[in-house]
Amino acid sequence: MKALQVQNTNKYFYTPTEFHVLKDISFEVDKGEFVAIMGKSGSGKSTLLYLLSTMDTSYNGNIVIDGTQITGQSKKNLARFRNEHIGFVFQFHYLLTDFTVLDNIMLPALKLNKKSKEEIEAEALELIDLLDIKGQEHKKASRISGGQQQRVAIARALINSPAIIMGDEPTGNLDSKNAENIFDLFRRFSKERGQTIIAVTHDDDFAANCDRIIELADGRIV
Amino acid sequence: MTTNQKIVQVFLTARIKQLVAAVLSVMFGISMYVFMNSFMDGVNTFQSDITFSAMSHIKIYNELKGDPRAIITRNKADELVLVSNAKNIRYTEGIKNIDEIKKGLKDINEITGIAAQLNQNVFIRNGVSKINANLSGIETQEENNVFGTAENIVQGNLYDLDKRNNGIILGTGLAEIIGVSLNDNITIQTSDGVSKVFKVVGTIETGAASLDRSRALVNIDVARQLLNKNKSYATDLMIDVDEYKNATDIAKSIQPLTQYKVEPWQEGNAQMDSGELLRNIIAIATSLTILIVAGFGIYNIMTMTVNEKIKEIAILNAMGFNSKDIIEIFLLQSIFIGFLGGIAGLVFGNIISRIIDNTPFQLGLLDSLPMNYNPQDYALAFLFGLVITFIAGYLPALRASKLDPVDTLRG
Repeated sequence: MKALQVQNTNKYFYTPTEFHVLKDISFEVDKGEFVAIMGKSGSGKSTLLYLLSTMDTSYNGNIVIDGTQITGQSKKNLARFRNEHIGFVFQFHYLLTDFTVLDNIMLPALKLNKKSKEEIEAEALELIDLLDIKGQEHKKASRISGGQQQRVAIARALINSPAIIMGDEPTGNLDSKNAENIFDLFRRFSKERGQTIIAVTHDDDFAANCDRIIELADGRIV
Repeated sequence: MTTNQKIVQVFLTARIKQLVAAVLSVMFGISMYVFMNSFMDGVNTFQSDITFSAMSHIKIYNELKGDPRAIITRNKADELVLVSNAKNIRYTEGIKNIDEIKKGLKDINEITGIAAQLNQNVFIRNGVSKINANLSGIETQEENNVFGTAENIVQGNLYDLDKRNNGIILGTGLAEIIGVSLNDNITIQTSDGVSKVFKVVGTIETGAASLDRSRALVNIDVARQLLNKNKSYATDLMIDVDEYKNATDIAKSIQPLTQYKVEPWQEGNAQMDSGELLRNIIAIATSLTILIVAGFGIYNIMTMTVNEKIKEIAILNAMGFNSKDIIEIFLLQSIFIGFLGGIAGLVFGNIISRIIDNTPFQLGLLDSLPMNYNPQDYALAFLFGLVITFIAGYLPALRASKLDPVDTLRG
């Protein structure tokens, strides 16, 4: 079973004028593969990622994630699916700034509601350890440094042990040292836990160390 | 606490100032609702108390029909019958046998009191001053039951009328006009020319000046004797019912039991009925307007909150919270504000009412503005408050749930 299958997918923007963003995209990603999506700005790479994330549902084609047909599902089902199977890391940390670091990490698991609060907290603390943000867990998310915030965002993406981790330029906003750290983490997750990683990136160094690069130009895979 | 409730808690406590402003706006609306309605209720009660201190809810009396029977009827088509200046003849006066009627009324459960009265216009003399007065022969116990007469006695004691057959109680205005005070003697003279000396055993003040200037009370048996009437004679039967607003319907059910006229209070006092209705409309219109304005306040605050939280909503969405969760998160905030504001409003409304109630305000018989503390007003205020905050919160929450997370997250 493939981690991800995209078949003949087209996407249009209608405002301000009709624009064919993604043209007949088809590709597959294996389990545990670490894939970078690259391309010039405007090439449609972020758009593609948001289709894969299940948040954008207005496209033609077919997307299957982890054996589950995503296309045509109700928004409610998709929300549930995202919660359980997809971890998302954004370019900007996008944490809930009023919440503590620990709460931010725990929220997706609390929403999933499959484990007790104590178990979730223990797992969150483990992730905090793993990502080297110990000591910050009871601070508000707005009170820690940018590098730390991005690591909290990664911890949040990992809490439900998703099959796929998606990143929209996850290191784009970090200095090279922090970026390297995060790349290493992703590398480890794909190797040790078999998690599939798909990251949109501009960073050639980042992409060079991935298993595969999918390059987009003018909405087509090159 | 569910996850959504935890999020609500964090969102609410993160903006204490906004929370306080929203709660205050609801509190103000609800407290004004409580105050306005307590006040109008008080005015209505005061008005009906005054009115019913001299008027019963239903009155039974012998009505003089205004339509005289034709004396001669026309027999042939070409005959012309002309009777000019036809006169009414009253064959019976008053109610001959009140005991029979009273027995019939026993089965009607809504009736809370029946008092027979014998009313007659008489002259009162005190030396040279002579004045027209309305003499009421009353059954003291029943009279007090229906009108609370004993409360209005300024001097003396209502039940002294039962103890001496020459005792009389005068309205304060009347006593002043003829210049008598407690224990003075006066002479009553009936239209038939009968005179009797009475001793003033008390004075009464109801607040209705015209009544206080003309009313004199004696025991009903004394009045019967004075007017040469039989033992169960009376001119009026005054009936009180449990709910005065239903008097019309109850009067209709009494009417078949007697040939006399049964008149509910509404028949002669439509102005009071409509006055009460108008005051209630004003109170509800004013307070609902205030509540709706408070509702707009919440709507504004919640819309602002949603706008502020667009990013958070998108993040929650990306993490797997669905639109139902988003609606719940924002609606719960409004409901919490409505609940808190509602309780604060009830307390604050009660405080305002008590302050106004205790502020001296001299107006006629009033020492302060009348105020009722009716649990129903409080319950309604709270209910309206919750409904309005619910609506005002639902619209922004719905909008929040429809935001497209992709638009927000892509920047």
